[in-house]
Amino acid sequence: MQQAFQMELEKLSTAKIDFFEEQLDTGHFTDKEHFKIFTDYLGKKYTQKDLDLIMVFPSGNYALAGALPDALFPEVPVVFAAVNDLEVPYDIGKLGVTGIIQRNDVRGTLGLILRLQPETHEVVVIGGKSEMDGKSLSRVIKTAQGLEEVQFKFWTNQPMAELLTTVKLLLPGTAILLSSFHRDASGEPYSTAQVAQMLAPLASVPIYVMNGMAVGSGAVGGVVADSQALGERSGQLAFKVMGGIKPESAPMEVETKGTPMVDWRALQHWHISDNRIPSNCLVRYRPNTLWGMHRNLIVFILAIFVMQTATIVGLLAQRRRRHEAEREVLAQRMELAHVTRVSTLGQLTAMLAHELGHPLGAILRNTEAAEIFLKKEPPELEEIRTILEDIRKDDQRASRVIDRLRSLLKRRSLELKTLDLGELLYEAVTLTKPDARAREVNLILSLPPKLPPVYGDRIHLQQVLLNLIINGMEAMAEVEKSGRQLTISAEIKNNGQVEVGVSDCGQGIPPDKLKQLFQPFFTTKPGGMGMGLAICKTIIDAHGGTIGGENNVPHGAVFKFTLPPQPSNL
Amino acid sequence: MIAPPESGTIYIVDDDLSFLKSISRFLRASGYRVQTFESAEEFIQQLAPEMSGCVLSDLQMPGLNGLELQAALAKSANPLPVVFISAQLDIPKTVQAMRGGAEDFITKHSSKEELLDAVRRALERGAQERNERERVKKIRARVERLSGRELEVLEQVVRGGMNKQISANLGIALRTVKLHRTNLTRKLQVQSTPELTRLAEELGLFTHDKSP
Repeated sequence: MQQAFQMELEKLSTAKIDFFEEQLDTGHFTDKEHFKIFTDYLGKKYTQKDLDLIMVFPSGNYALAGALPDALFPEVPVVFAAVNDLEVPYDIGKLGVTGIIQRNDVRGTLGLILRLQPETHEVVVIGGKSEMDGKSLSRVIKTAQGLEEVQFKFWTNQPMAELLTTVKLLLPGTAILLSSFHRDASGEPYSTAQVAQMLAPLASVPIYVMNGMAVGSGAVGGVVADSQALGERSGQLAFKVMGGIKPESAPMEVETKGTPMVDWRALQHWHISDNRIPSNCLVRYRPNTLWGMHRNLIVFILAIFVMQTATIVGLLAQRRRRHEAEREVLAQRMELAHVTRVSTLGQLTAMLAHELGHPLGAILRNTEAAEIFLKKEPPELEEIRTILEDIRKDDQRASRVIDRLRSLLKRRSLELKTLDLGELLYEAVTLTKPDARAREVNLILSLPPKLPPVYGDRIHLQQVLLNLIINGMEAMAEVEKSGRQLTISAEIKNNGQVEVGVSDCGQGIPPDKLKQLFQPFFTTKPGGMGMGLAICKTIIDAHGGTIGGENNVPHGAVFKFTLPPQPSNL
Repeated sequence: MIAPPESGTIYIVDDDLSFLKSISRFLRASGYRVQTFESAEEFIQQLAPEMSGCVLSDLQMPGLNGLELQAALAKSANPLPVVFISAQLDIPKTVQAMRGGAEDFITKHSSKEELLDAVRRALERGAQERNERERVKKIRARVERLSGRELEVLEQVVRGGMNKQISANLGIALRTVKLHRTNLTRKLQVQSTPELTRLAEELGLFTHDKSP
């Protein structure tokens, strides 16, 4: 209660408050001599202190507790919080004093008894012999008179020793209500909680109490003062008084409704089902379940788990969207690859003229020759036969060219297969040889004796090679004829990757342009679209390889790309 | 349709063996003498003064290309006329070829008439040029047989000198001048003085001013 009071006051006040706490055992030391000791001691202790408020939580001898502040600091306002109107140490309306009184909730407690044990037909009320006990009991008696379904017995004249025996003999259908008990019939002093603790293990029926302090001593429970709420309310009242309101003008508050509170262990002992517990009831001493002990942690972990799951789901969705977008980009790039491939082939005019023009020209001349041989008398059939043979060969040669062109012109997606890299490079050189000849470029294919197979798409890799070769040849247009040399090489790197290089002897790449080489729409050629190298990069990326361009020593540029030897995870 | 055999041989130069074979076969069947070469180098190596006819050459070839072949041929002692036969029409190269004195420029799928016309014209021109070269050669040989004094007299005659002037210029008797002139016309097989003058011009004789 004190703690709740202090916290509430600190919460309300903006200024820093110093709290001094004095625990006076006025219950045991009731004589005048002790009262003098207390006043001397406290008077000296706080003589230098300018107190704003005295807060009294009376217990034991209430009269004494109430008299102390009056004797010590008559000018300082007093607020009290008492758990029984019978315990109020002041007359109501006394100057400089106000407070909160919590009355025993007899009616509520009896209601709780019937709620938890509906079969109860008799309540034994046990009370002490002190003056206060008597006042308290009289209130119980007054309330009991209004209840007809239950019979009441009042045990107030038994000494403790007797009580300890008689509580064992009560029959089922009976409940014990422990009223205030500060002194037994033999005059021995006790506290109510102490009595509950003594009787509970022995009693043959459940014991109920009206004092919050007694919950936990073995009693089933009762409707008691909620010390937390009482503390908070007294804090609020103290704040008002400290703020300047005269205590006598702040009305004393009287609270008759308590809070139901039960001891879970006692409920188990008496086999009282949990579903009888009222919803507003505080259940104390329930062994902590994992949930109870670590509720926040569990909630926190669950929340993290949920968030994690949500995040994972989100990331998966994002990943899928990204993959879809990437696929789409790749598809578009492949489409563009097709377009640029077509335009690349368009650049290979000499190749087309040579590869198709020659066989077609040869066929034409052969048929003309055959006509002449046919007209001879007699026709030179042997000559015609060899001519036809040659025509067939040239036709096949032209067909192969067309097939190869068609495969290069076909719109297609990536088809990865194991490829012979040497063959691929040789094919690229064959395709570009006529152009190299037309541009008077010396094409050199430099391969190691043995190349591992690579995993890739023949047409797309062919496109990369054609692009790099044509670029290289174009870069040497201004170079002296004897210096126009383009080298296509392959090399096996230490990590097993194969590196293909296309190096020219041209002007090289301006150093400031090196980084942009593979960006779309970047071009150094007057009529260039700037897609060639960007497409090359897309294709090589799709193969899980890398591509780069740099300047060669002593002159020219070299473009290198790598291909992984094993099927990549594509 | 057998074309009348023109004088001379068609020397065909092409690195595409299949085309080389077919065109030589066709031209041979059309009645021409044909000789094939797989590269410009091979042809230049075998070029001899007695070879007559024309050259039919591919434009694009590894090593020496068609234009280079043409240039090398023009500098040689036997500048045979050249017809280019290319896989495609390449305007800049065509211009260059024609400036270099190419007889014609046709493509590999030009019609046979175009081909035969080009070949015929080239052979005719080849024959003409050859005849001309031979005629000049013969005259040059005759000039070479002239004595020093006869050459001096010839120079005076070509410059339009009268006998008396020649006699005075060279410091010889008028009779001697007349004798040299008779010998000149006999040795050079000409009938008249204008003929003698044209011959000297043709040979490019006395283009350097020796005398004041």
